[in-house]
Parts: sequence; C-alpha cells; structure tokens
Amino acid sequence: MDAEQIIKSLTTKFPDVISDAKVDSDIRISAYSEAEKIVEVCKYLKEELQFGHLSAVTAIDQIQKNEIDVVYLIASYDHPVVLKLKARLPRDNPEIESIVPVYWNANWYERETYELFGVQFKNHPDLRNLVLPDELLGDWPLRKDYKGFPNRTAKNLV
Amino acid sequence: MDPLNEKPQENINEDQQLAGEDMDMENIIHNEIPGVITTTSQGITEFLKTTKIQDLINWGRKNSLWFMAQAMGCCGVEIIVTGMSPMDTDRFGIIPRNSPRHADVMIISGYVTKKYLPALKRLWDQMPAPKWIICMGDCSISGGPFYESYSTVQNIDKIFPVDVYIPGCPPRPEALIQGFLELQKKIAAKKDKGTAYMR
Repeated sequence: MDAEQIIKSLTTKFPDVISDAKVDSDIRISAYSEAEKIVEVCKYLKEELQFGHLSAVTAIDQIQKNEIDVVYLIASYDHPVVLKLKARLPRDNPEIESIVPVYWNANWYERETYELFGVQFKNHPDLRNLVLPDELLGDWPLRKDYKGFPNRTAKNLV
Repeated sequence: MDPLNEKPQENINEDQQLAGEDMDMENIIHNEIPGVITTTSQGITEFLKTTKIQDLINWGRKNSLWFMAQAMGCCGVEIIVTGMSPMDTDRFGIIPRNSPRHADVMIISGYVTKKYLPALKRLWDQMPAPKWIICMGDCSISGGPFYESYSTVQNIDKIFPVDVYIPGCPPRPEALIQGFLELQKKIAAKKDKGTAYMR
C-alpha cells in the first residue's frame, strides 16, 4: 500500500477519530487522533495495516495553544511509509492511555515522555522516571515554561 | 671497553650531567626521553643523604600517579588512549587503575549530572588519602556546551578540590600527559602531606 491508501484506510475505519490526515512526502504521512481512541487506532495499525515498528514516542509543548501533542512515530516493514500520529492533550492535565499493550517497546518511551513533559500515561505497567534523578521529577524540564535553568553562568566563564 | 663504565655515575643531578662534555651518544638519547631516569646505586645513596624526607616522599608520590580509569564523557576516549602503549605513560609512573582504592588521581572528564554527583563523591571518598583531582575538558571546568542545562552541576571546583585544569574539547592525550607533569611539579613543591577531602 502506498501513502494515499493507508490514509484512506485509516479515515474510513475511524471517521470521527482521525483528523488532519495528510501526505507529507512519499515516505511520510501524518495524522491527528483523538486521545481517547489511541489504543484502538494503534491496534488497527499494527494488526490490519502491518505497522509493526514503533520508532519513538515523544511530545511537543504547544504553549501558545495551551496543549501538549504526544507524537507516535510508527513505521512499517511492508510499506515504505512512516506514520506520524499525534494526539492533542490539555496542557494542565495531560492524560492519555498507554499503548504498551499494543507496542511493548513503548514502555521506556512513555516513561521518558512522562519525566520530561509530565504526560500521565494511564494503565502503564511501571510509570516512573527513566533517566532523571528523583528530585527533578515534577519539574518537567522540557516544557517551555520550565524555570529551573541555572540563572547565572559558571563562575569560570564570567 | 667495559660498557658499565660508560654509564653516568649520577643522573639525578641533571645539571652536572649536562655540564659534562664527555657524554656519548647513548646517554644523550637516554636523557631525551622525558620521565626516564637512569641512575646508579651510588646516585641513589647521594640522593638519600642530601634530601629532606618530605622531598623524598613527594618524589615517590609524584612518580606513582595511578589514575582511575573512570570515563565520564567523550574525554573518556582520550583517557583510554592515554593509558594505551603508544603514549607509554608508564615511564612517568602514570598507570590506569580500575578500582578507586588503587588510585591516586581522579580525572573528572566530563559534565557532572545531578544524578551522577553522588556516585562521583562516593568514588572520591573511596580513594586512599594522598589523592589529587584533574579537571579534564571544558565540560568539567566551566560546563562547556552544557553550562546552562537543567541536569548538570555548576562549578564543580566548589565541590571537589581540583589541582590541575586541562582545557580542551576534548584535550589530546599529550595535553593530559602535560597535565600530569604539571601535577608532578605541584606535588614536588608541596610542603604538606597531600590533599585530603576536607569539604
């Protein structure tokens, strides 16, 4: 299947869930999904459309729109296409269902997104900090309004 | 001719050695290798007679600087190269050790994250008492590219008593050896019994 067919299959299966689906290039397609239905969309992608490779889970802090986009990069071994699937979440309480039951390797990606952006993944098997120390948890350092940077430079530079 | 007679009688006092005009080629080559000392038992006896005991202790300490092979960033690659045979740091007594309990020198060779700082303090506490610290690379001196990061520790010299700074990103192995030589000069001039962790 090429990119157009994948988009057509997705939008006909989930007409109310998938929005803004478009072809970025020959190998890239992007789509927005409703946050509540993300597990169903991922399950359909994996089982029906042969998208078996979850490359990354990350997030984008859209501070002007007051929302956080969770980004799933899902690739396939059968079609030469990478799907960029996004889900909009409210910025004050970002919560989304975990996709670990579908893609098992999303475990550490979701933990990293949790410690850097504060996105709560519901029903995650072990949601705790991955790399950051415990005292930095709760600061969410990659959010745009993070205030914890050292406000003076190193002594030797001044 | 007896080859033993061609050897210099005393090589520790290098000024007398260089003043002598009757050096053959073999001795000149030996003297041009930094860190290599050829001496005789008589020379050692003279050295012991005419040297204060603190200078003798410092001489022993500065010629056995075992450093901890503890790579913290990309400068760690240069540390590994320095410990390999082409550099031959063994002639200065600089030997990599894998355990902090064998080591005399800790090389802070990268940015120190907030998560790694407790482990680094623990390694430093495990090293036996005459011990020194070399700050290697821009990251450990001033933060380098990471000086404004949320996860790194600023001003590492307020936490550890640093003896020698080696700038560079990363410094070459020759620069690291030069840093060790500067540390040797510092130890040779030292009046006390070595750095203890006081802070």
